[in-house]
Amino acid sequence: MKGINLKSDDANAAARGLLARGMEAGLWDAALVPARVPAGDSYAWLLLRDAAALERTTPLPPVMSVSGARALYKLARHGTARRVVAVLRPCEVRAAVELYKREQLPLDDIFLISMDCPGAVPLKDYVEDPEAGEELFGKMLAGVEEPGREICRSCDHFSHTASDLHLGTLGVPEGNVVVVPASAAGEAAAEKLGLGDAGPVAEWEAEVEKRNASRREAKEEAHRALREEAAGPERLAATLGRCIGCHGCRSVCPICFCRQCYFESEALKVPAANVFARAERKGAARLPADTFLFHLGRMAHISLSCVSCGACEDACPVQIPVAQLFGLVAANTQSLFDYEAGRDRAEAVPTTYYREEELAYLSEPYVEARAPEGVGADG
Amino acid sequence: MAKAALMEGSNADLAARDLLKSLLSSGKVRGVMTLVETGPAGEVNYELVADVAALENATPLYPLMPANAGGLLSRLTVLEGFEEPVAAFLRPCELRAFVELGKLHQVNAENILLISATCGGVYPLRASLNGGLADGLPAYWEAVANGEAAEGLRPTCSACEHFVPFGADLVLAAVGSGGAGRLAVVARTPRGDEALEGLEGAAGEAEVETAGVKSLREKRGAARAELFETEPLPAPGLEGLVAFFGRCVGCRSCRSVCPICCCEICYFDAAATEPTPRTFDVHLKRKEGTRVPPDTLLFHLGRLTHMSASCVGCGMCADACPVYVPVATLFAKVGAETQALFEYVPGKDPEEEVPLQRFEEEELAEVGEERFGS
Amino acid sequence: MSEEFRPDILGIFCRWCSYSAADLAGVSRMKMPPTTKVVRVMCSSRADPVFALGALLIGADGVLVAGCAPGDCHYKTGNYQTRRRYALVEKIFDTLGLDNRRLKLVWIPASEGAKVKRVVTAMTESLQEAGPNPTRAEMFI
Repeated sequence: MKGINLKSDDANAAARGLLARGMEAGLWDAALVPARVPAGDSYAWLLLRDAAALERTTPLPPVMSVSGARALYKLARHGTARRVVAVLRPCEVRAAVELYKREQLPLDDIFLISMDCPGAVPLKDYVEDPEAGEELFGKMLAGVEEPGREICRSCDHFSHTASDLHLGTLGVPEGNVVVVPASAAGEAAAEKLGLGDAGPVAEWEAEVEKRNASRREAKEEAHRALREEAAGPERLAATLGRCIGCHGCRSVCPICFCRQCYFESEALKVPAANVFARAERKGAARLPADTFLFHLGRMAHISLSCVSCGACEDACPVQIPVAQLFGLVAANTQSLFDYEAGRDRAEAVPTTYYREEELAYLSEPYVEARAPEGVGADG
Repeated sequence: MAKAALMEGSNADLAARDLLKSLLSSGKVRGVMTLVETGPAGEVNYELVADVAALENATPLYPLMPANAGGLLSRLTVLEGFEEPVAAFLRPCELRAFVELGKLHQVNAENILLISATCGGVYPLRASLNGGLADGLPAYWEAVANGEAAEGLRPTCSACEHFVPFGADLVLAAVGSGGAGRLAVVARTPRGDEALEGLEGAAGEAEVETAGVKSLREKRGAARAELFETEPLPAPGLEGLVAFFGRCVGCRSCRSVCPICCCEICYFDAAATEPTPRTFDVHLKRKEGTRVPPDTLLFHLGRLTHMSASCVGCGMCADACPVYVPVATLFAKVGAETQALFEYVPGKDPEEEVPLQRFEEEELAEVGEERFGS
Repeated sequence: MSEEFRPDILGIFCRWCSYSAADLAGVSRMKMPPTTKVVRVMCSSRADPVFALGALLIGADGVLVAGCAPGDCHYKTGNYQTRRRYALVEKIFDTLGLDNRRLKLVWIPASEGAKVKRVVTAMTESLQEAGPNPTRAEMFI
């Protein structure tokens, strides 16, 4: 992999500088970047047209108040009038790629810059105490503190991804940021910007691989623990039991793009007698009646594209570990098809094609059926 | 004084549970909608209960609102109502939401025996997580019995003046019941009279308006005035609103859990209001930058124009907000103003139309007159 | 505010009375400030206050909604409903400390071209006094 050295002490300053240079060089006319809101208690996405205005932005903010992929989707789902550059976290790039594959987000005229991500601070913690949140994030950036959000602690996709340019900070000597072109557009941009000489790419790659290895272990451990805590009908019911049905997890999910979600549609409204019959059969029926259907159904609908960005968990008012549950399920559904959400723009979403010779175990008699290795049928 | 049944029970919740049990076991109703304790850490959910054994864990007045039950009951009956007689235990604000939804044609109310109670208020949802409420419950019930204001309730509950239900077939006089361990269930309608007939518990006469209710009403009124005058409501003007809603993530959970917001597709989610490339282009012609997704303030201000006249102040919106915007307080304050304009109390009278569905020729004469200048 | 400030006003005029009056004002060559861009609707009651809010939030300095006088609505009752809605929004503006000078409802009968001139002039002047809408510069809306 080749990379270019961008001299800078700080990833945010490097990203701002890059955005401004690209704007001045005419590579893009508008930038989608987070900035701290006036009250200082969160960050919001801004679309900016002037290089000078970039000064107030924080390309890599402590929180993911809104998934960058969702912001980009709201901005560009019908195309854009200006050439847009967006600075995203790796998981946000991956979600944007999934939307692109699902034909919801035309990415061809959008330039994506990603950055090495130290994880995010839980949104609720941040809004309650922004200064403590900033302090924690500083430590996460310095590598002396684990990510604040649980889901980030087992993230093994925190670095280069299917963006156009990636900014690497991990493992590089202080004062340097590696710029790694990751697409033809990225290479052309790097050339046009006349970015410097070959940077310390080898050090960066080694550090990313090292951290990835420990994250993969952390992920396995987290999945094992979560299975113990939440897998199986009773434990799952207990975990999801306090859901209040606000569907906030779905609203903030970058992948859930349907205007009318099936689980909010007329299709799920039934006559009172129907629920009454359920109550008579079981003694009692939970209200609303479709909580578990909603969560399991959403797993069926979107887990193949789930990038474990954690927005759902940040949005849950009753602290259900919904991102972790989705992460666990997604790991299994995606591995079933040897698929990884957001890995590659050219890779089709598994439910949009089939091969005749696959999943043979499903046609075996039920009693003999064996799930492939790694596909969790346990608990 | 009205006809009443006097229930034994060391607190109002237990008396309410006993009432539901005897209604169901006597066959007067075939099902009961109530809060039920469903987890070891004080998790509660609404359930429709058909088996009296399942009422063992019922906790009709547990001071927590996982949903507005008026909204749930509307969703349950909007296609077709119950075929069998069912009792539903609703808090006053839930009952008002149910009545309001009836006016919006979202309810089939037949076969429902509506039971309510004078309400001591509920705690914020987040306070209940990880079993956070259990220790405070005895003090809460004591406060309710004495007509005191319990500590730590949701701000909108602490400031709620409509804690005595309008309507309802039966009302449990929870507030100000005293420490005698006897609670009165007062019948307010012929259906309520019928339900009480032959039930366990001594027949008698009682009033919902106890001395405790009167003193609590005074405290609530004072708390209300204070709440509306202090932080964390937005400072006047645009800047205040930007600061107040700046951290909104646009999940719209406030709307999803709002019992009044019953539109299948909200105007603010509709294709017609979706931003286009031109939208952002227009914004960027005017100013150097613009927020994405756009229209955070439009959503909240728009929702105020669409539903504040019917807002029952149930507080669900604030409970559901993942970034703790005290949106319920703001909506209650604005709702109080818009409702006063039309002399309207949402959910009070099922016969009275909602303000934006009616008008009078002789009213608001100054609106539409030439009034320019400051 | 300096005299140069020319406010942007969105007019939402009912097709029957107010727009006819505006037409009459035009045909009669009445002079008035060129501040108001008029959208014609079939009835003032079509103008959901949310339309006005939307315009104000993206930087319009004012919104002027005009309809037939009470009792004269082409559809009998539309403007009574409009009146309730704008009374409500006025209350919301008051409660939130938003500037009520920016959102006005007036009745303009079809024959009163002069009233169009008077109203547009008065609103323009009052917005000149109020100054540019702060939403023009605020990014975090």
